[in-house]
Amino acid sequence: MIPNRSGYRLTPSVVAVAKNGKRLVGALARRQAVTNAERTVVAVKRLMGRAFSSRALQDTLPRLPYTVIAGDRDDARIQLGDQSFSPPEISAMVLTELRLDAEAHLGEKISKAVVTVPAYFNDAQRTATKDAGRIAGLDIIRIINEPTAASLAYGFGRDFPERKIAVFDLGGGTFDFTVLHLFKGAFEVIATGGDTLLGGEDFDARIVDWLAGPFLERHGIDLRKDKMSLQRLRDAAEKAKCDLSSSTTSEVNLPFIASAQGAGPLHLQASLTRAQLEGMTQDLVDRTLKVCEQVLGEAKVHPGQLADVLLVGGQTRMPSVQKAVKSVFARDPTKSINPDEAVALGAAIQGEMLLGDDGKNEMLLLDVTPHSLGIAIAGGFFQRIIPKNTVVPTSAHHLFTTVKDNQPSAKIIVGQGENELAAQNELLGEFMMEGLRAAPRGGVDIDVVFDISADGIVSVSAIDVQTGLRQSITVTSSAGLTEEEIKAAAAANEDWMLGQKEDPKFEGNKAAVEKLIKEFEEFWPRLAEAAAKGMGPQILQGAQAALSVARLQIEQRDHEGLSGSAERLERMLEALRATVARGRGKGS
Amino acid sequence: MVIDLPLDIQDELRAFDARGDRISHYELLGIGADADGGAIRRAYLERSKRFHPDSWYRKELGDLGAVLSRTFQRMAAAYQILSDDETRAEYDRDHAAAFSEGDRTAAGLRAQARKEEERRQHERRERLLRSKGFARVGAARKLYEEALEHVANGQRAVAIQVLRTARELDPGRKEIAAKLTEVERESVKARAASALHLGKEREASGNFSQALASYAAAIQLEAPGSDAPAGAARCALALGDFAGAGGWAARGLERFPGENRLRVLAARAFIGLKQTAKARTELLLVLQNEPHHAEAKALFKPL
Repeated sequence: MIPNRSGYRLTPSVVAVAKNGKRLVGALARRQAVTNAERTVVAVKRLMGRAFSSRALQDTLPRLPYTVIAGDRDDARIQLGDQSFSPPEISAMVLTELRLDAEAHLGEKISKAVVTVPAYFNDAQRTATKDAGRIAGLDIIRIINEPTAASLAYGFGRDFPERKIAVFDLGGGTFDFTVLHLFKGAFEVIATGGDTLLGGEDFDARIVDWLAGPFLERHGIDLRKDKMSLQRLRDAAEKAKCDLSSSTTSEVNLPFIASAQGAGPLHLQASLTRAQLEGMTQDLVDRTLKVCEQVLGEAKVHPGQLADVLLVGGQTRMPSVQKAVKSVFARDPTKSINPDEAVALGAAIQGEMLLGDDGKNEMLLLDVTPHSLGIAIAGGFFQRIIPKNTVVPTSAHHLFTTVKDNQPSAKIIVGQGENELAAQNELLGEFMMEGLRAAPRGGVDIDVVFDISADGIVSVSAIDVQTGLRQSITVTSSAGLTEEEIKAAAAANEDWMLGQKEDPKFEGNKAAVEKLIKEFEEFWPRLAEAAAKGMGPQILQGAQAALSVARLQIEQRDHEGLSGSAERLERMLEALRATVARGRGKGS
Repeated sequence: MVIDLPLDIQDELRAFDARGDRISHYELLGIGADADGGAIRRAYLERSKRFHPDSWYRKELGDLGAVLSRTFQRMAAAYQILSDDETRAEYDRDHAAAFSEGDRTAAGLRAQARKEEERRQHERRERLLRSKGFARVGAARKLYEEALEHVANGQRAVAIQVLRTARELDPGRKEIAAKLTEVERESVKARAASALHLGKEREASGNFSQALASYAAAIQLEAPGSDAPAGAARCALALGDFAGAGGWAARGLERFPGENRLRVLAARAFIGLKQTAKARTELLLVLQNEPHHAEAKALFKPL
């Protein structure tokens, strides 16, 4: 696992635009969140692929410290200063940062990526994720589900007999539960389910309410209304939650959190116990268990048949979550994987599986679609075309017939979900078949093909059965980005990255010094020989010191120091070469 | 063009594709009709490693690319049908005529074994029901665990039987009753989907009387959507049974009053029965909902 340029293995998905207009990503962005809450984007995953008016998004809005506005197509846009961004653009900033980290570490360009998403993500959310990749200049060769990725990390390089396992994945914003069957390198997902609006952030929110409620009663001030104090509350809540995973009480201390008219500054001080926290979040834990039960039923597996239960996601560190999992599955969850890193490792394994050496198809992932795909039919009902838990890639046909003479077009409304009523399910889009042949009613049969790719993304195509000609289909209603918007955003991101390139003078010095270091390394055996033959070890030590200084300067991007080093190293190399040549001449 | 795929896989793919629908699900997975659930799953996973498009990701496949993904999807569909006890039994029953002799025998044996298992369970039930007191509760607990195993192995029919016995032994235990309801509901759902599918297959091949029987079964099992009553009404019309068609359409309209397709079918039935007034009423309702409904307009004109 490659560390980022700050040396950490995890980069938080936080993006901020600082007051001076600079873009900050990861730990840097999180650190300044308190003083810049309105321009710091957290939890963008919850906005991905959501229409602005959707219930899911409207429910999330009040808890976000930044401003989200409606775009032209009922899409969500994030307002940062005088600019607004789509969720994929924000996501692309994180991806770009990771890409630059990897490029810095590996010294080569990164152009392809495997990206993980919650298993329960629907088509719109996956498409938005893929758009984010394109904006970041990455070809996303595959989107894989997080719990499945964790199972790859668990099974990779281990040899065990056929078995079934479950993955309990409670992350920051989402919950997934997946049951898999493992056999000779094949990872078959049997069933998956989840809740895209249940995660660690909801646990934090409970603590925030617990802190802010009594404060409101006593002082008449709702701390949640002020962006800055809300951000402080959230940080304190998250810290208290993490503390309570290892200790039984935690002190919350927030001085100068507000000021009351005439009464001066107000402070917030509270002591939270683990039992209290468990009490106020029990219903959230229960919600996860309900999902587990349903998925086990769909998989037709009972807990006793599972060889292992994997815990993934930071929120699974909470003792009450672990206790609940233990009680349902009557076993201790496995400790063999790292809940924070298993998913990323799994993605890397999938990348290797797809692009690795020829003819070595020893591992294979068989994942499923988490939602049923269907169309709206007369009466507002929803007709299922591909049921949930069908292995992907998959496709299904549906025959449409014209109902009018010379009918010019036909519309199909495609959705995802399990409800009998189309309106209760997630709308994927309205697909318009246009330019139909002129024929009497019933004279045109159109075979509509629904494809779900291995990424879980839906595409719709249509063929005129009588003529065999492909029928054009356009999407008329969708909150996703258009092709033009993606291209424009990718170009803007490219410009930003070019702007990030260090100034050419530094790059020039760096290249010169790197060349000198290489020459030194090549020259080293002869130098060592000369030192051994009587010139003494000092010349080696001097050179070594100069080289380490130069390496450090490159790493720290020490501009001025480096130009000095370039000169020094060059002089030193010349002198040493001359000395060695003289010594050799003398010796022979 | 060079196809970047091992020759043996190329040959297998072309052989599968050439046989089209004439290849049985068992042959597709390379197993005999006597394979048990575990063997079916293992065969499917082994085959997937050879035939899943990801195993040949970004290889030059030419025309075999489409064949490869088609073949994998057929294997996945075969696996899905064969890994469920009920859909598999139905598949065996409907396709046995096309099986090889060995597979036909195996399918027959399996059907027999299923009957034998049911008889055995029945005897065991009688015996257990005669037990008394705490022994009954213990037996119920054991049966419940057993039923979960059966469910996991895709043997829903057996699980239902076992759970029913368990419930009789220990009626107070909620988890037994709940599990029974759940498994029964699932069983009905699977059978309904299967019946609907079979109805469509038979209707497409012009076998209307058998198709009607399948649609009727799907309605009985409350298949979701209005496809089953519409199919039944269509088949009845095709068979000239206007009264029957009217009845099926009416049944469908009870659940889906907004479904114009059913109303048009009802109107056709009334026209066949020479009940013009009723036909007119139905068609007027359709035209109220959808003024340009061509079929309704065409039917309405002569009336």
